[in-house]
Amino acid sequence: MSKKIVAVTACAAGIAHTYMAAEAIEQAAKEKGFDVKVETNGSIGAENVLTTEDIANADLVLVAADIKINPIRFSGKPLYVTDSNAAIADGAGLIDTALKDAKVFGEKGSKVGNIQIGNDHSKVNFFTHIMSGISYMIPMVIAAGLILAIANVYAFQRDDMGRIVKWGFDNKTAMGALMANLFQVGQVGFKLMIPLFAGFVANSIADKPAIAPAMIGAYLANDPTSLHTKAGGGFIAALIVAFIVGYFVKLLKKIKWPHIIQPIVPIMIIPVIATLFISLIVFYLIGEPIATLMSGLYAWLTWLNTNSTSAPVIIGIVLGGMMGFDLGGPINKTALIFGTAVFADTMAKYGPTHANFLPQTATQAAISVAPLGVWLASIIWKNKFSKDEKVATTAALGMGLVGVTEGAIPFVAADPIRMIIANVSGSAVAGGLVALTGCKFYGGIGSPLGSFIGYIQQPIPLITWILCVCAGIAVTALIIGLTRSPQVMAAAKEAV
Amino acid sequence: MDTTIFNQDHILLDTASTTQAEAFQAIADLAASLGYVSDAKAYAAGLKDREAGATTGFKDGFAIPHSNDASILKPGLFLVKFSHPIEWAALDNQPVTVAFALTIPKDGGKEHLKLLSQIARKLMNAEFRTTIQNETDGAALTTAVNQIQ
Repeated sequence: MSKKIVAVTACAAGIAHTYMAAEAIEQAAKEKGFDVKVETNGSIGAENVLTTEDIANADLVLVAADIKINPIRFSGKPLYVTDSNAAIADGAGLIDTALKDAKVFGEKGSKVGNIQIGNDHSKVNFFTHIMSGISYMIPMVIAAGLILAIANVYAFQRDDMGRIVKWGFDNKTAMGALMANLFQVGQVGFKLMIPLFAGFVANSIADKPAIAPAMIGAYLANDPTSLHTKAGGGFIAALIVAFIVGYFVKLLKKIKWPHIIQPIVPIMIIPVIATLFISLIVFYLIGEPIATLMSGLYAWLTWLNTNSTSAPVIIGIVLGGMMGFDLGGPINKTALIFGTAVFADTMAKYGPTHANFLPQTATQAAISVAPLGVWLASIIWKNKFSKDEKVATTAALGMGLVGVTEGAIPFVAADPIRMIIANVSGSAVAGGLVALTGCKFYGGIGSPLGSFIGYIQQPIPLITWILCVCAGIAVTALIIGLTRSPQVMAAAKEAV
Repeated sequence: MDTTIFNQDHILLDTASTTQAEAFQAIADLAASLGYVSDAKAYAAGLKDREAGATTGFKDGFAIPHSNDASILKPGLFLVKFSHPIEWAALDNQPVTVAFALTIPKDGGKEHLKLLSQIARKLMNAEFRTTIQNETDGAALTTAVNQIQ
């Protein structure tokens, strides 16, 4: 019985070499009296496609391609992989070599992880890894964020005059207890979203073995208790962790492990080594700077606050900008804690007439600018956002309206530098303007809706606050819309 | 053969080029003068880029330089015969005397792209290569290429 050969050919342009290689293999195989079928993966689509039966009956599978061909359907068959020119140069010689040197694909221990045949450099870059992580993170941001937002509305307790003066759940009522629970649900989501993001960014770089170390590393980097700091590292720390883990695991995969342990390399050896490695980095390299940064910032803010009584706008701008910098990360938390602490402190000491409202008012004015800014940008510049991103901006609108900054995180993670500039600028504008106009934020929601849900003393009732916050939102939206990078837009469209 | 892809005007007997870069420029000028590319320089650069990926020179003095860069307006085939054999780093190490150059538009119609791929297949036919190599008359060359379906 004559031998049966099946082959797949492909090239970059998908017009010339794909077909020349196919022709060469067909001619050579026929001369040798073999049965042959060649699938061409050209730019007009795959033709003469190999069926499962073709592959099952084949004695040899040849891949002559200059681009990536997924080999998974050839599992268990003798497979020989080369480029298109090898077939064009000498079809008969290639078949002889392949018959001699083909290796059964997918045999236990033959390769680690997901194999790529040929090279496809064009598609993978920094942004595609981040976008992959974000596409897994978005559902959690939305689920957790919206539940948190609903609960947040119920967290404002009114006094006899109907003014909202206190934030916190009234656990004595059934509704209050339920909302306190829902608030917890949202917070768990926000806590999990950081490691989830890091895990899938690392997965995009180095596949499955990288997920566990990146998730554990990012959790630690975002957990103040583990770090013995006041706040965790947020998504910026997660991004750093994900890339360190991704490339470290990639390196580990290149090691020629002894045959006997190869089956356990991806499920045990690499995850254990990489987890140990990243944990030590988080504890001894990343954690310390976050703690130092936090206390340094806090000290600086205190100094600024006591020295800027003549120019309150400065502290308004600084605190507002900090809120937009890392959206719930250490710098944002430092500003928020500082604002609340100064308010609570001076309120207790001097009473409402002489309390220092400024830091809290600025941070609250800035809190909704980033999520609402990105939403506004997606409304004005419709073409610059993918479908999935528009769903996320709608969710950001919901979160932003009730003062949940985290709604903007997916966009910042995708394009940190431009987005941070946009968010910081807009947040600083909002913080500076409320300081300039002398608004006093007693309590409530830190969004334009704060004028209605909450109690804010302001020069022109309702209007001043809304205008200040909206000016910040407009600045952020404008910068996002005008600077959005084509690379990020392309990556966002890919990552569906 | 579809005459919008190839006709006798698409044949060039290049007596001047002595290097691959000059050959690319000659091919690009021809394609541009016939309205197949918007920018001869860009197309020549596209040919060079493709060549950097892997050689398009294959057997018996034949090469199939091609590009799918943005300057390309419509699908076309250009047959250029060189008086001076040109060093091309071909698979058989022979210098190139015949180039079948292709313009591949990014969003070309299926039928036209298919025709271009048929030309590529035909080039693997030794008999066809001998005919093209030995023939110098434009009309006879056109007839030979037109046999490709």
